[in-house]
Amino acid sequence: MEDLLEYLARSLVDDPGAVFVESFEEDDGSIALELHVGEGDVGKVIGRNGRTVNALRTLMRACAVDEGQRVLVDVVD
Amino acid sequence: MDPDLTSEIPTQPAERVRALVERVVETLDLEASVAVEEVETEIRATVEGDELDLLIGSDGETIDALQYIASRAAFADSAERKAVVIDAAGYRGRREVALQGAADRAATEALASGRPVELEPMSSPERKIVHQYLAARGDIETHSEGQEPRRRLVVTPTAG
Repeated sequence: MEDLLEYLARSLVDDPGAVFVESFEEDDGSIALELHVGEGDVGKVIGRNGRTVNALRTLMRACAVDEGQRVLVDVVD
Repeated sequence: MDPDLTSEIPTQPAERVRALVERVVETLDLEASVAVEEVETEIRATVEGDELDLLIGSDGETIDALQYIASRAAFADSAERKAVVIDAAGYRGRREVALQGAADRAATEALASGRPVELEPMSSPERKIVHQYLAARGDIETHSEGQEPRRRLVVTPTAG
């Protein structure tokens, strides 16, 4: 799941080398994914009105369905 | 960071779409193949296999999200623009029939009442399908209202 998020983000940004994902398990068992991107690339992964990051969240939710987990995605620069 | 990680991302748009869809299919653990076709106006990736409901999602939300990401990613570093369509198990064809049915009902209602009729919110590619479908009739007009993701078509009888 982290690998997919990282791959999708790298294909969206100008600086793919700066992209990495950290994953944390919350107390309630949900998975928090922190997507780190280069300074100039935050807009690229968030998108107009958050459309890109919302699409990323939808895809990550589909991946988590398999594992029965809730998943949260946040963008960090 | 490992330079190999970036070299896995193809530079050519149709190949970027293929790689991305294959990654998603793999992560979802689906037994499916991906065929990509590129024409002048569009890049179309078709996923064929069994049990693709997870890829499509409820009301197509997952496949629409994938299509949106793929279209952003395909042309991330090029000025070129083409429509990117991701299809699975005939979903887009079934959806088009459903959209045309909803469009016909809205048109009938608009003509009968003489007033504008709003359709359900749709993605931009779906609004385009409905707009073009209804434009062929000539007795009604369509325009979009509202903000994404609630943006929707409004069907109005043509004046006169």
